[in-house]
Amino acid sequence: MSEREPRVDEARGAFAASMGLLTSVLARPLDPGYEAAARRRTTEGRPRRTAGGVILLAVLAVALGALTVTAASTLRAPQPAVVQARAVLEEEVTRRSLEVSESEQQLAALDIEIQRLQNTALEATDPELLAQLTVDEAASGAVALQGPGVRVTLADAPNADEGDIDRRVHDSDLRIVVNGLWAAGAEAMSVNGIRVTGLTAIRSAGQAVLVDLVPLAGPYVVEAIGDPDRLPTRFAGTAARDHLALLRGVYDISSTVEVASSLIAPASAAPTLDRAAPLPVPDDEEEGT
Amino acid sequence: MIAVLGLVLGVVAGLLLEPTVPVGVQPYLPIAVIAALDALFGGLRAQLDGIFDEKVFVVSFLSNVVLAALIVFLGDQLGVGTQLSTAVVVVLGIRIFANAAAIRRHLFKA
Repeated sequence: MSEREPRVDEARGAFAASMGLLTSVLARPLDPGYEAAARRRTTEGRPRRTAGGVILLAVLAVALGALTVTAASTLRAPQPAVVQARAVLEEEVTRRSLEVSESEQQLAALDIEIQRLQNTALEATDPELLAQLTVDEAASGAVALQGPGVRVTLADAPNADEGDIDRRVHDSDLRIVVNGLWAAGAEAMSVNGIRVTGLTAIRSAGQAVLVDLVPLAGPYVVEAIGDPDRLPTRFAGTAARDHLALLRGVYDISSTVEVASSLIAPASAAPTLDRAAPLPVPDDEEEGT
Repeated sequence: MIAVLGLVLGVVAGLLLEPTVPVGVQPYLPIAVIAALDALFGGLRAQLDGIFDEKVFVVSFLSNVVLAALIVFLGDQLGVGTQLSTAVVVVLGIRIFANAAAIRRHLFKA
Protein backbone atom coordinates (compact mmCIF):
# COMPACT_ATOMS: atom_id res chain seq x y z
CA MET A 1 0.00 0.00 0.00
CA SER A 2 2.85 2.37 0.76
CA GLU A 3 5.89 2.70 -1.41
CA ARG A 4 9.30 2.47 0.11
CA GLU A 5 11.05 5.63 0.86
CA PRO A 6 14.42 5.46 -0.84
CA ARG A 7 16.02 8.04 1.43
CA VAL A 8 15.51 5.95 4.52
CA ASP A 9 17.02 2.88 2.90
CA GLU A 10 20.04 4.80 1.71
CA ALA A 11 20.62 6.38 5.05
CA ARG A 12 20.43 3.21 7.09
CA GLY A 13 21.96 0.82 4.62
CA ALA A 14 21.03 -2.76 3.90
CA PHE A 15 20.44 -3.56 7.56
CA ALA A 16 17.48 -1.25 7.71
CA ALA A 17 16.08 -2.48 4.41
CA SER A 18 13.89 -5.01 6.12
CA MET A 19 12.58 -2.25 8.35
CA GLY A 20 11.80 -0.08 5.37
CA LEU A 21 8.15 -1.00 5.23
CA LEU A 22 7.57 -0.34 8.89
CA THR A 23 9.54 2.90 8.77
CA SER A 24 7.66 4.19 5.76
CA VAL A 25 4.37 3.23 7.38
CA LEU A 26 5.33 5.09 10.53
CA ALA A 27 7.08 8.08 9.01
CA ARG A 28 4.87 8.63 5.98
CA PRO A 29 1.44 7.19 6.64
CA LEU A 30 -0.24 9.28 3.97
CA ASP A 31 -0.87 7.58 0.68
CA PRO A 32 1.93 8.79 -1.64
CA GLY A 33 -0.66 9.25 -4.35
CA TYR A 34 -1.84 12.49 -2.73
CA GLU A 35 1.63 14.02 -2.94
CA ALA A 36 2.10 12.78 -6.48
CA ALA A 37 -1.21 14.28 -7.50
CA ALA A 38 -0.32 17.56 -5.79
CA ARG A 39 3.01 17.63 -7.64
CA ARG A 40 1.25 16.95 -10.91
CA ARG A 41 -1.11 19.81 -10.26
CA THR A 42 1.71 22.27 -9.70
CA THR A 43 3.68 21.14 -12.74
CA GLU A 44 0.90 20.46 -15.23
CA GLY A 45 -1.92 22.56 -13.86
CA ARG A 46 -5.35 21.22 -13.00
CA PRO A 47 -6.12 18.06 -14.94
CA ARG A 48 -9.21 18.39 -17.06
CA ARG A 49 -11.98 16.17 -15.89
CA THR A 50 -14.16 14.40 -18.39
CA ALA A 51 -17.87 13.91 -17.72
CA GLY A 52 -17.41 10.14 -17.71
CA GLY A 53 -14.64 10.39 -15.17
CA VAL A 54 -16.75 12.49 -12.84
CA ILE A 55 -19.68 10.08 -13.05
CA LEU A 56 -17.40 7.11 -12.47
CA LEU A 57 -15.93 8.88 -9.48
CA ALA A 58 -19.36 9.64 -8.03
CA VAL A 59 -20.64 6.12 -8.62
CA LEU A 60 -17.54 4.61 -7.03
CA ALA A 61 -17.85 6.92 -4.06
CA VAL A 62 -21.51 6.02 -3.53
CA ALA A 63 -20.72 2.33 -3.84
CA LEU A 64 -17.84 2.56 -1.38
CA GLY A 65 -19.90 4.50 1.14
CA ALA A 66 -22.72 1.97 0.92
CA LEU A 67 -20.28 -0.92 1.16
CA THR A 68 -18.55 0.46 4.21
CA VAL A 69 -21.69 1.29 6.14
CA THR A 70 -23.26 -2.06 5.20
CA ALA A 71 -20.17 -3.89 6.37
CA ALA A 72 -20.12 -1.93 9.61
CA SER A 73 -23.82 -2.45 10.34
CA THR A 74 -23.56 -6.14 9.51
CA LEU A 75 -20.66 -6.46 11.93
CA ARG A 76 -22.60 -4.65 14.60
CA ALA A 77 -25.43 -7.18 14.34
CA PRO A 78 -24.99 -9.93 16.93
CA GLN A 79 -22.98 -12.48 14.97
CA PRO A 80 -25.55 -13.62 12.41
CA ALA A 81 -23.66 -16.84 11.73
CA VAL A 82 -23.68 -17.79 15.41
CA VAL A 83 -27.35 -16.90 15.73
CA GLN A 84 -28.11 -18.90 12.64
CA ALA A 85 -26.18 -21.91 13.89
CA ARG A 86 -27.96 -21.65 17.21
CA ALA A 87 -31.34 -21.48 15.53
CA VAL A 88 -30.50 -24.55 13.47
CA LEU A 89 -29.42 -26.43 16.58
CA GLU A 90 -32.51 -25.36 18.49
CA GLU A 91 -34.69 -26.53 15.67
CA GLU A 92 -32.83 -29.82 15.58
CA VAL A 93 -33.26 -30.29 19.33
CA THR A 94 -36.98 -29.58 19.14
CA ARG A 95 -37.42 -31.88 16.19
CA ARG A 96 -35.47 -34.71 17.80
CA SER A 97 -37.32 -34.28 21.10
CA LEU A 98 -40.59 -34.61 19.21
CA GLU A 99 -39.26 -37.73 17.51
CA VAL A 100 -38.27 -39.17 20.86
CA SER A 101 -41.65 -38.51 22.42
CA GLU A 102 -43.37 -39.93 19.34
CA SER A 103 -41.21 -43.03 19.58
CA GLU A 104 -41.96 -43.30 23.28
CA GLN A 105 -45.67 -43.13 22.60
CA GLN A 106 -45.27 -45.76 19.91
CA LEU A 107 -43.30 -47.90 22.33
CA ALA A 108 -45.96 -47.60 24.99
CA ALA A 109 -48.67 -48.48 22.48
CA LEU A 110 -46.68 -51.48 21.28
CA ASP A 111 -46.06 -52.58 24.87
CA ILE A 112 -49.79 -52.55 25.54
CA GLU A 113 -50.33 -54.44 22.30
CA ILE A 114 -47.76 -57.08 23.27
CA GLN A 115 -49.30 -57.37 26.71
CA ARG A 116 -52.73 -57.86 25.23
CA LEU A 117 -51.58 -60.45 22.70
CA GLN A 118 -49.60 -62.26 25.36
CA ASN A 119 -52.61 -62.36 27.65
CA THR A 120 -54.95 -63.62 24.96
CA ALA A 121 -52.42 -66.23 23.86
CA LEU A 122 -51.78 -67.45 27.37
CA GLU A 123 -55.39 -67.34 28.47
CA ALA A 124 -56.20 -70.13 26.07
CA THR A 125 -53.11 -72.27 26.49
CA ASP A 126 -51.80 -71.77 30.00
CA PRO A 127 -53.94 -69.78 32.46
CA GLU A 128 -51.71 -70.77 35.36
CA LEU A 129 -48.64 -69.28 33.73
CA LEU A 130 -50.61 -66.15 32.97
CA ALA A 131 -51.57 -65.74 36.62
CA GLN A 132 -47.97 -66.31 37.66
CA LEU A 133 -46.80 -63.83 35.06
CA THR A 134 -49.23 -61.16 36.24
CA VAL A 135 -48.00 -61.49 39.81
CA ASP A 136 -44.35 -61.50 38.73
CA GLU A 137 -44.76 -58.51 36.48
CA ALA A 138 -46.38 -56.53 39.25
CA ALA A 139 -43.60 -57.47 41.65
CA SER A 140 -40.77 -56.82 39.23
CA GLY A 141 -42.12 -53.47 38.11
CA ALA A 142 -42.30 -54.47 34.48
CA VAL A 143 -45.80 -53.04 34.15
CA ALA A 144 -47.40 -49.90 35.49
CA LEU A 145 -49.92 -50.43 38.25
CA GLN A 146 -52.80 -48.34 39.47
CA GLY A 147 -54.73 -48.60 42.65
CA PRO A 148 -55.46 -47.17 46.08
CA GLY A 149 -52.73 -46.84 48.63
CA VAL A 150 -50.71 -44.59 50.89
CA ARG A 151 -48.72 -41.48 50.07
CA VAL A 152 -45.84 -40.52 52.38
CA THR A 153 -44.30 -37.10 51.80
CA LEU A 154 -40.98 -36.04 53.31
CA ALA A 155 -39.59 -32.52 53.01
CA ASP A 156 -36.27 -31.01 54.04
CA ALA A 157 -36.37 -28.79 57.12
CA PRO A 158 -37.14 -25.15 56.21
CA ASN A 159 -33.64 -23.98 57.16
CA ALA A 160 -31.82 -26.91 55.55
CA ASP A 161 -30.06 -24.59 53.09
CA GLU A 162 -27.95 -23.15 55.88
CA GLY A 163 -25.45 -25.96 55.60
CA ASP A 164 -26.72 -28.35 58.25
CA ILE A 165 -27.00 -31.48 56.16
CA ASP A 166 -28.63 -33.35 59.01
CA ARG A 167 -31.73 -31.28 58.33
CA ARG A 168 -32.05 -32.71 54.86
CA VAL A 169 -33.84 -35.91 53.96
CA HIS A 170 -31.18 -38.58 53.56
CA ASP A 171 -31.21 -41.65 51.40
CA SER A 172 -31.31 -43.76 54.55
CA ASP A 173 -34.53 -42.03 55.65
CA LEU A 174 -36.15 -42.85 52.34
CA ARG A 175 -34.90 -46.41 52.57
CA ILE A 176 -36.45 -46.83 55.99
CA VAL A 177 -39.79 -45.46 54.76
CA VAL A 178 -39.74 -47.67 51.66
CA ASN A 179 -38.83 -50.77 53.63
CA GLY A 180 -41.51 -49.93 56.20
CA LEU A 181 -44.09 -49.71 53.44
CA TRP A 182 -42.95 -53.04 51.99
CA ALA A 183 -43.25 -54.54 55.44
CA ALA A 184 -46.72 -53.06 55.77
CA GLY A 185 -47.81 -54.94 52.68
CA ALA A 186 -47.33 -52.53 49.80
CA GLU A 187 -47.61 -54.16 46.41
CA ALA A 188 -45.96 -51.53 44.26
CA MET A 189 -44.14 -48.33 45.11
CA SER A 190 -42.73 -45.24 43.50
CA VAL A 191 -40.58 -42.39 44.79
CA ASN A 192 -41.13 -39.08 42.99
CA GLY A 193 -42.55 -40.99 40.04
CA ILE A 194 -39.76 -43.56 39.84
CA ARG A 195 -40.83 -47.16 40.34
CA VAL A 196 -39.19 -48.87 43.27
CA THR A 197 -38.82 -52.61 43.12
CA GLY A 198 -36.80 -55.14 45.03
CA LEU A 199 -33.81 -54.33 42.80
CA THR A 200 -34.00 -50.54 43.02
CA ALA A 201 -31.15 -48.87 44.87
CA ILE A 202 -31.81 -45.80 47.00
CA ARG A 203 -28.45 -44.16 47.49
CA SER A 204 -26.89 -40.79 47.90
CA ALA A 205 -24.28 -38.96 45.87
CA GLY A 206 -23.06 -35.88 47.65
CA GLN A 207 -26.21 -34.30 49.01
CA ALA A 208 -28.46 -35.65 46.28
CA VAL A 209 -30.63 -38.69 46.83
CA LEU A 210 -30.51 -41.15 43.96
CA VAL A 211 -33.35 -43.53 43.31
CA ASP A 212 -32.56 -46.03 40.60
CA LEU A 213 -29.52 -43.79 39.87
CA VAL A 214 -31.78 -40.82 39.09
CA PRO A 215 -31.05 -37.81 41.27
CA LEU A 216 -34.13 -36.42 43.01
CA ALA A 217 -34.94 -33.17 44.74
CA GLY A 218 -37.24 -32.74 47.72
CA PRO A 219 -39.98 -32.96 48.68
CA TYR A 220 -39.87 -36.72 48.37
CA VAL A 221 -43.18 -38.41 47.69
CA VAL A 222 -43.31 -42.13 48.33
CA GLU A 223 -46.45 -43.67 46.90
CA ALA A 224 -47.30 -47.22 47.84
CA ILE A 225 -50.15 -49.16 46.27
CA GLY A 226 -51.79 -51.63 48.58
CA ASP A 227 -54.85 -52.38 50.64
CA PRO A 228 -56.07 -48.89 51.65
CA ASP A 229 -57.50 -50.17 54.92
CA ARG A 230 -54.69 -52.30 56.19
CA LEU A 231 -51.64 -50.54 54.72
CA PRO A 232 -51.81 -47.34 56.85
CA THR A 233 -52.48 -49.17 60.09
CA ARG A 234 -49.74 -51.69 59.52
CA PHE A 235 -47.35 -48.92 58.46
CA ALA A 236 -48.12 -47.11 61.69
CA GLY A 237 -46.85 -50.15 63.54
CA THR A 238 -43.47 -50.32 61.79
CA ALA A 239 -40.16 -48.81 62.84
CA ALA A 240 -40.44 -46.42 59.89
CA ARG A 241 -43.21 -44.53 61.66
CA ASP A 242 -40.99 -44.07 64.72
CA HIS A 243 -38.20 -42.90 62.47
CA LEU A 244 -40.47 -40.28 60.90
CA ALA A 245 -41.40 -39.03 64.35
CA LEU A 246 -37.72 -38.82 65.24
CA LEU A 247 -36.96 -36.88 62.07
CA ARG A 248 -39.72 -34.42 62.84
CA GLY A 249 -38.79 -34.00 66.48
CA VAL A 250 -35.01 -33.74 66.20
CA TYR A 251 -34.32 -32.45 62.68
CA ASP A 252 -37.54 -30.60 61.85
CA ILE A 253 -38.03 -32.76 58.75
CA SER A 254 -41.75 -32.71 58.07
CA SER A 255 -43.60 -35.76 56.85
CA THR A 256 -47.21 -36.59 56.07
CA VAL A 257 -48.90 -39.93 55.62
CA GLU A 258 -52.18 -39.91 53.75
CA VAL A 259 -54.43 -42.46 52.13
CA ALA A 260 -54.99 -41.95 48.44
CA SER A 261 -57.77 -43.52 46.43
CA SER A 262 -55.88 -43.77 43.17
CA LEU A 263 -52.13 -43.96 42.77
CA ILE A 264 -50.12 -44.83 39.72
CA ALA A 265 -46.85 -46.72 39.94
CA PRO A 266 -45.18 -46.34 36.54
CA ALA A 267 -43.32 -49.23 34.97
CA SER A 268 -39.65 -49.30 35.86
CA ALA A 269 -36.92 -48.92 33.29
CA ALA A 270 -36.58 -51.78 30.84
CA PRO A 271 -35.92 -54.91 32.87
CA THR A 272 -32.56 -56.52 32.40
CA LEU A 273 -32.19 -60.25 32.10
CA ASP A 274 -30.08 -61.39 35.01
CA ARG A 275 -30.74 -65.11 35.08
CA ALA A 276 -32.28 -67.64 32.77
CA ALA A 277 -32.98 -71.31 33.23
CA PRO A 278 -34.50 -73.80 30.83
CA LEU A 279 -38.11 -74.70 31.45
CA PRO A 280 -38.62 -78.03 33.15
CA VAL A 281 -39.86 -80.53 30.63
CA PRO A 282 -43.02 -82.12 31.99
CA ASP A 283 -42.51 -85.55 30.40
CA ASP A 284 -38.93 -86.20 31.35
CA GLU A 285 -37.75 -84.18 34.34
CA GLU A 286 -34.18 -85.49 34.13
CA GLU A 287 -33.61 -84.27 30.62
CA GLY A 288 -34.65 -80.74 31.36
CA THR A 289 -31.88 -79.85 33.80
CA MET B 1 -16.52 17.42 -3.41
CA ILE B 2 -18.22 14.91 -5.67
CA ALA B 3 -16.39 12.06 -3.98
CA VAL B 4 -17.34 13.20 -0.49
CA LEU B 5 -20.95 13.84 -1.47
CA GLY B 6 -21.10 10.45 -3.18
CA LEU B 7 -19.67 8.78 -0.09
CA VAL B 8 -22.26 10.46 2.16
CA LEU B 9 -25.00 9.46 -0.28
CA GLY B 10 -23.73 5.89 -0.23
CA VAL B 11 -23.68 5.85 3.58
CA VAL B 12 -27.27 7.12 3.74
CA ALA B 13 -28.37 4.61 1.11
CA GLY B 14 -26.68 1.78 2.98
CA LEU B 15 -28.32 2.81 6.26
CA LEU B 16 -31.76 3.12 4.69
CA LEU B 17 -31.76 0.07 2.44
CA GLU B 18 -29.93 -2.24 4.85
CA PRO B 19 -28.87 -4.75 2.21
CA THR B 20 -28.05 -8.23 3.47
CA VAL B 21 -24.47 -9.38 3.06
CA PRO B 22 -23.97 -12.88 1.65
CA VAL B 23 -22.47 -15.28 4.17
CA GLY B 24 -19.51 -15.98 1.86
CA VAL B 25 -18.05 -12.48 2.07
CA GLN B 26 -18.68 -11.95 5.77
CA PRO B 27 -15.13 -12.91 6.85
CA TYR B 28 -13.82 -9.94 4.83
CA LEU B 29 -16.05 -7.31 6.40
CA PRO B 30 -13.88 -6.38 9.41
CA ILE B 31 -10.82 -5.93 7.21
CA ALA B 32 -12.84 -3.96 4.67
CA VAL B 33 -14.09 -1.62 7.38
CA ILE B 34 -10.56 -1.05 8.69
CA ALA B 35 -9.28 -0.40 5.16
CA ALA B 36 -12.11 2.07 4.63
CA LEU B 37 -11.23 3.82 7.89
CA ASP B 38 -7.63 4.04 6.77
CA ALA B 39 -8.66 5.64 3.47
CA LEU B 40 -10.99 8.04 5.28
CA PHE B 41 -8.30 9.19 7.69
CA GLY B 42 -5.81 9.47 4.84
CA GLY B 43 -8.25 11.61 2.88
CA LEU B 44 -8.96 13.81 5.89
CA ARG B 45 -5.28 14.34 6.51
CA ALA B 46 -4.65 15.13 2.85
CA GLN B 47 -7.46 17.67 3.03
CA LEU B 48 -5.83 19.31 6.03
CA ASP B 49 -2.44 19.18 4.28
CA GLY B 50 -4.11 20.93 1.36
CA ILE B 51 -3.28 18.22 -1.13
CA PHE B 52 -6.64 16.39 -1.20
CA ASP B 53 -7.48 14.85 -4.53
CA GLU B 54 -10.81 13.21 -5.19
CA LYS B 55 -9.51 10.73 -7.69
CA VAL B 56 -6.69 9.62 -5.43
CA PHE B 57 -9.14 9.40 -2.52
CA VAL B 58 -11.64 7.18 -4.31
CA VAL B 59 -9.00 5.04 -5.97
CA SER B 60 -7.07 4.55 -2.73
CA PHE B 61 -10.33 3.79 -0.90
CA LEU B 62 -11.31 1.17 -3.48
CA SER B 63 -7.86 -0.37 -3.75
CA ASN B 64 -7.50 -0.47 0.03
CA VAL B 65 -10.77 -2.35 0.50
CA VAL B 66 -10.23 -4.70 -2.41
CA LEU B 67 -6.61 -5.40 -1.58
CA ALA B 68 -7.34 -6.02 2.09
CA ALA B 69 -10.14 -8.44 1.21
CA LEU B 70 -7.90 -10.09 -1.35
CA ILE B 71 -5.11 -10.61 1.16
CA VAL B 72 -7.49 -12.17 3.64
CA PHE B 73 -8.97 -14.35 0.91
CA LEU B 74 -5.49 -15.47 -0.11
CA GLY B 75 -4.62 -16.15 3.51
CA ASP B 76 -7.79 -18.21 3.93
CA GLN B 77 -6.89 -20.28 0.89
CA LEU B 78 -3.36 -20.84 2.22
CA GLY B 79 -4.55 -21.61 5.73
CA VAL B 80 -2.94 -18.52 7.28
CA GLY B 81 -6.04 -16.34 7.13
CA THR B 82 -5.89 -15.18 10.75
CA GLN B 83 -2.19 -14.35 10.57
CA LEU B 84 -2.57 -12.36 7.37
CA SER B 85 -5.63 -10.61 8.80
CA THR B 86 -3.51 -9.67 11.79
CA ALA B 87 -0.78 -8.34 9.49
CA VAL B 88 -3.26 -6.21 7.55
CA VAL B 89 -4.85 -4.94 10.74
CA VAL B 90 -1.44 -4.03 12.19
CA VAL B 91 -0.28 -2.12 9.11
CA LEU B 92 -3.58 -0.31 8.60
CA GLY B 93 -3.92 0.30 12.32
CA ILE B 94 -0.50 1.96 12.47
CA ARG B 95 -1.40 4.11 9.46
CA ILE B 96 -4.73 5.11 10.96
CA PHE B 97 -3.01 6.00 14.19
CA ALA B 98 -0.28 8.04 12.51
CA ASN B 99 -2.78 9.84 10.27
CA ALA B 100 -5.02 10.56 13.23
CA ALA B 101 -2.01 11.99 15.06
CA ALA B 102 -1.24 14.24 12.07
CA ILE B 103 -4.86 15.38 11.97
CA ARG B 104 -4.68 16.13 15.67
CA ARG B 105 -1.56 18.23 15.12
CA HIS B 106 -3.35 20.12 12.37
CA LEU B 107 -6.46 20.79 14.40
CA PHE B 108 -5.04 21.51 17.84
CA LYS B 109 -1.53 22.60 16.83
CA ALA B 110 -0.24 20.29 19.51
